[in-house]
Amino acid sequence: MSPVVVYLLLLKATLTSFSGLGSLALIHTDFVEQRHVLTDHQLNTAVVAGRTGPGPNGVYVVSVGYLVAGVPGAIAGFAAVVTPAFLVLPLMYWAGKRADSPRVKSAIRAVVIASAGLLLSVSMPLARDAITGTFALVLVLASALVLAFTKTDSAWVMLGAALIGLAAKLFS
Amino acid sequence: MRPTLGPLTWLYFRVGNTTFGGGDPTMAALQRELVEQKRWLTREDFALAYSLARITPGTNIIAFCAASAVRILGVWGAIAAVLAETAPSAVLAVLLTLGFESWAKNPVMMAAIAGTVAAVTGMMWASVWLLVRPYLSDAQSLLRVVLLGGGAFLAAWKFGVTPVPVIAIAAAIGFFWRDSE
Repeated sequence: MSPVVVYLLLLKATLTSFSGLGSLALIHTDFVEQRHVLTDHQLNTAVVAGRTGPGPNGVYVVSVGYLVAGVPGAIAGFAAVVTPAFLVLPLMYWAGKRADSPRVKSAIRAVVIASAGLLLSVSMPLARDAITGTFALVLVLASALVLAFTKTDSAWVMLGAALIGLAAKLFS
Repeated sequence: MRPTLGPLTWLYFRVGNTTFGGGDPTMAALQRELVEQKRWLTREDFALAYSLARITPGTNIIAFCAASAVRILGVWGAIAAVLAETAPSAVLAVLLTLGFESWAKNPVMMAAIAGTVAAVTGMMWASVWLLVRPYLSDAQSLLRVVLLGGGAFLAAWKFGVTPVPVIAIAAAIGFFWRDSE
């Protein structure tokens, strides 16, 4: 499959979605159902790999590109993932010029507060997966307290939690 | 204080490629670094980038990187942030796709991942606190936090409302209900 076609098909999927995995339905239709260049199993593996590694869930699109067209396909997939992000730049310039009015500032602060509520809501499914017992609960709370009330780098907390999880498994 | 391109790129690279769990935990980590620790971005700029990234097609966190970095260091900052945040994890995603079958069955590896998932949850809760803490100065501010933050949480969690209408409604409420700051 031509990398240009891969790019255009994946771009269609990323441009018409508003979250990392929002493009999944269209990719399934285009690559699995219509063109038969990808199996359901391959698509699932790409999605799981995207969710397992660090970074955005949307990078599974790069794996899809690789699976259908090798390295050129992966490059096409990467381009399709990052292209829509640059649409935000003119919006930032437009909105930034209007951000000095007291009413606009108040609206932005309201959005900050609402975004905290949204962040809490998206943490709930993750919390359900993470808190599998008392040990995990202590790890969650300890991480929250350290990060909320100290200036410890979050990467160290991640690494520490991974090592604690590893040690708990090895010594259990 | 504005950073140069090197430290900015390094920060997006480091946070974007060490934070597991998708875009929201990454955004929480970036909020902590950019707003609370480095102070390269104000809370208002964070909120603007957050809101506009939500209404931009594609992966929200990548748009957030572009939006936040353009505010700090212009278009080159945005390009550097997007590439630094996305390219290494994209390569890793391909490698994981190839080796996933054997890796997913390794209980020791999965235990380490479970540890990071716990830390990511804690980090998101810490970010919620860091975001609302400055707005808890008096009774009216507290009421705003409870109504706007609690309302957004309930709308998304309990009723499955997507972020875009929640942000739009919060912005409209904030526009007409001026805060005391």
